[in-house]
Amino acid sequence: MAVKVLILEDNPVARSFLCRVVRESFSDAIAITEAGDLESARREIGLTGGPRGLPGVESFKLILVDLELPDGNGMELLAELAQYPATKIVTTLYSDDDHLFPALQRGADGYLLKEDRFEVLVEELQKIVRGQPPLSPAIARRLLTHFRQGVGAEGSSDSGFAPLPGFSTSRPAPLERPAPMDHERLTPRENEVLTYLSKGFTIKEIAALMGIKWFTVNDHIKSIYKKLNVSSRAEAAVLASKQGLV
Amino acid sequence: MPAEHADAFSSRPFPPSTSPVPLDSGFETQTLEQLLGTPLEPSRWIGWRLRLLVLAVLLGCVGIFLLIRTLAAWPHVDAVWRANDRGQIELVSSSEPGLTTLRGRTLLGVGGGDMPMAALDALALQRSARWLVNDSERDRHRALQEQLARAMEQRDVKLYFSDGVTTEVHAQPRGLASLGALFWLLAALALVLYLVSMVVLLARPSMRSAVYAGMSLCQAGNLLFIAVESVVDLGLPRGFNDWDLQARMAFDLVTAAAIVHATTVHPRPIDGASWLAALAWGLAFALIALQSIHQLPAAWWWTQAVTAAMGVMVIVQLTWSNRREPHPFAVVLRRFGVIAVGTWILLTVAIASADQLPALRHNIAAIGSVIWYVFIASLLLLMPFLSRSQPVMREFSMLAAISTVATSLDLLFAALFSLSQFASLTLSLFLSLGLYAGARQWILNQMMGSSMLTTERMFEQLYRIAREVELHPERTAELLSQLLRELFEPLEMSWVDRHASHSRVVADGSTLLVPVPELAPRDDELEAPGSLLLRFAQRGRRMFTQDDTRLADRVVEQLKRAVAFDQAVEQGRSEERARLAQDLHDDIGARLLTLMYKAQSPEMEDYLRHTLQDLKTLTRGLAAPSHRLSHAAAEWKTDITQRLTAAHCDLAWSFSFDRDMMLSVVQWSALTRVLRELVSNAIAHAQASQVDIDFTLQDERLVLTISDNGVGRNPHAWSHGLGLGGVRKRVKQLGGEVEWNENEPIGIVCRVRIDELSDRH
Repeated sequence: MAVKVLILEDNPVARSFLCRVVRESFSDAIAITEAGDLESARREIGLTGGPRGLPGVESFKLILVDLELPDGNGMELLAELAQYPATKIVTTLYSDDDHLFPALQRGADGYLLKEDRFEVLVEELQKIVRGQPPLSPAIARRLLTHFRQGVGAEGSSDSGFAPLPGFSTSRPAPLERPAPMDHERLTPRENEVLTYLSKGFTIKEIAALMGIKWFTVNDHIKSIYKKLNVSSRAEAAVLASKQGLV
Repeated sequence: MPAEHADAFSSRPFPPSTSPVPLDSGFETQTLEQLLGTPLEPSRWIGWRLRLLVLAVLLGCVGIFLLIRTLAAWPHVDAVWRANDRGQIELVSSSEPGLTTLRGRTLLGVGGGDMPMAALDALALQRSARWLVNDSERDRHRALQEQLARAMEQRDVKLYFSDGVTTEVHAQPRGLASLGALFWLLAALALVLYLVSMVVLLARPSMRSAVYAGMSLCQAGNLLFIAVESVVDLGLPRGFNDWDLQARMAFDLVTAAAIVHATTVHPRPIDGASWLAALAWGLAFALIALQSIHQLPAAWWWTQAVTAAMGVMVIVQLTWSNRREPHPFAVVLRRFGVIAVGTWILLTVAIASADQLPALRHNIAAIGSVIWYVFIASLLLLMPFLSRSQPVMREFSMLAAISTVATSLDLLFAALFSLSQFASLTLSLFLSLGLYAGARQWILNQMMGSSMLTTERMFEQLYRIAREVELHPERTAELLSQLLRELFEPLEMSWVDRHASHSRVVADGSTLLVPVPELAPRDDELEAPGSLLLRFAQRGRRMFTQDDTRLADRVVEQLKRAVAFDQAVEQGRSEERARLAQDLHDDIGARLLTLMYKAQSPEMEDYLRHTLQDLKTLTRGLAAPSHRLSHAAAEWKTDITQRLTAAHCDLAWSFSFDRDMMLSVVQWSALTRVLRELVSNAIAHAQASQVDIDFTLQDERLVLTISDNGVGRNPHAWSHGLGLGGVRKRVKQLGGEVEWNENEPIGIVCRVRIDELSDRH
């Protein structure tokens, strides 16, 4: 059976380019569903069992989401798909942490920069699906701040890039955090990995510095992603129950 | 000079009912005490003291009222007399019908009823025995006054004129209307002085306040006596004369001793203070006692000399105290002290030298002494308010200086050139006014020690510092203190860990407290908001006044406003930039992306990708005001690593810096694009398999070396297209230079050198 992939992208040229990237990346049979806006993406997802992704029903295994869409921000869909069992990847032109970090918080498993070369994109996509998500220094810094002091002070002081007032409409504010929980703490190793990443070291260099294998470094990164994800989801749940939504 | 006001006033407001300055509760007294080393124990305005004050006020008013009644009821002959050159009494004018025809005649004697004629001369016109130099003359004066008083009591007074003319006039009560303006003025001044001394004493009952009250009361008494004397032209009330001499000498001596006492303990206690005070008091009381039993030969000389000596002692004490530890109060007091003592000595000399000219002496004693007493009384009145208002003090200083000059000139002309009274007075007034107009600024500077910043310079400073504060909000305290230092030239400046709502003057005007505004949100709690403590304005030559606090508050407010304005402007700018950046990014970026996907050749695609990346750098530069060097370096490295890895090329990255500076947008984007271009060259044109990047920032000097092992050779023959031209342009923009050389054994090495990579560009 073909692996179902959803590509949400408003630019048709970019969409077909991404289709090529996806087809090139996997040897399996691929069934690609294309969507040009949030509306149609929601419809497609609804046909395959709703945002929760009912087990047994044929659901998407991979979803590529563009952030800037005609009828809203891809971030909204990411938030809705928090429980959806698919690999969710943000495709964007924005490479700065101010745009990417909120996406990762909302459950994105990785991101692709649309201006990269075809080969680079294929490689990056494969890595993300294999569980080797990218982590730029700026995002590593944001993560460090996030896990160190919790949300609130984050983004204001440490990133070095002041939040852009003009962009705030397209970028939902980070979620409020009630109290630090266990799954929100990083292990010392993870912390070390993040610190090196924030200083621009490559995964190989970090492995050498820490005296571990490169895939162990990768495991740490994956775990950090998961923790960010879980913590964000927990926050969302707490927030939702507080507001009487659940 | 009195010094007591310090405790009672400056450190604490005047009685609450009259004070415009509210108690500043934002600043704890204890902290200040520790800082200043002087107790500032706030004394409460308790009920009994208030009641006592009301009682004192009532007593004073009743006393004055009784005095006025007595004077109004005192019989007198309505006539104006003057002393002529032969030492005789001459009738100037009169409204009495019997006297109008006798104008210009000389009065030889007076009698009445069964009383025989008592011979009179000009001495009888001398109202007070206080300013008679010789003991014998004083005795004669007393005898004359005694006779006059007895004659007046007869109601029908017989006046014997020259050429044997005799008139009998009826002495009548003078009534309230004819008391004269001088009397009312002096009586009012005496009453005010009395009230102030009572307030000071009751606001803080202490030894110092008592000393101040003592000298104020003495001077109030002096003024009252002069007021009474100003009413009476011929013939004082019976017994008044005896009293007058005793009391006024005692007043002067007590005042002098009290001032000596005061300056031994204030503004700073001096060595052997109690001994000096005891000496002064002992001397004063010994003289008073001897005089009261008429056992003091040359009493006038003694009084004048001892008073002058004590004045000199005060000046010496103040000088000494100021030298030990500078205090503006001591300086101001000494200045006034010099004027007061100088005038006193001048007055003494003038009267002594005019001894042989009765008419002249009469004038000097009448006018000179009044001026001196009014001066000293106003000085006493002013003391408690010295730190309140600068203009008051300035104007008073001017008045004191000018009237001193005028008086001395008047005396000088009269004594030396034997000019008539009117001529000398006019001339001296004219001269001193001219002097005043010419030397006003100089006098002001001398008296006030004013070398304040000009308005223009102050504005400039304020503007410059507002700029700086905006750039470095964490340095607000430092910059503000710099500004205040230039404004007030204090001897000491320190930081206190308390925040007050307003500036205020503490400790006798020696200290000004200015709160430091919070102009920037503070990240850490280490730097709590505080205040600046300025001590001893104008290097200790001036006191802080309420005007200074207002000025300081204004400065702080202006600083706040300027920074707020700048921040608003900056925010508006950055919002605009961000919007522009987003538009560029969304529209042009999307189009370039589409173009890139549709590119016909890999070269075109690379070119477009490059353009897109430049656009992204540009928009990011527009949106973010500054970038930390270490953060930028991490990104550069990640970016370059990624690109080199894709091109199967190794990277050797070495990055060192001595200061993690903030790169400006221009610096950041220029360096980002230079690096990107140079790495692109190594990959695309040289087809290198190894790139070494070395970035060193030391003492603002940046050296960036990028070497490859590619096929490039002979860089001087290169044609500089868009890429290398761009590199040159950007390096030049940063004030540096770039050069390409052949690398050994193969490849190209590019060296970028920027000598001054500072925060400013």
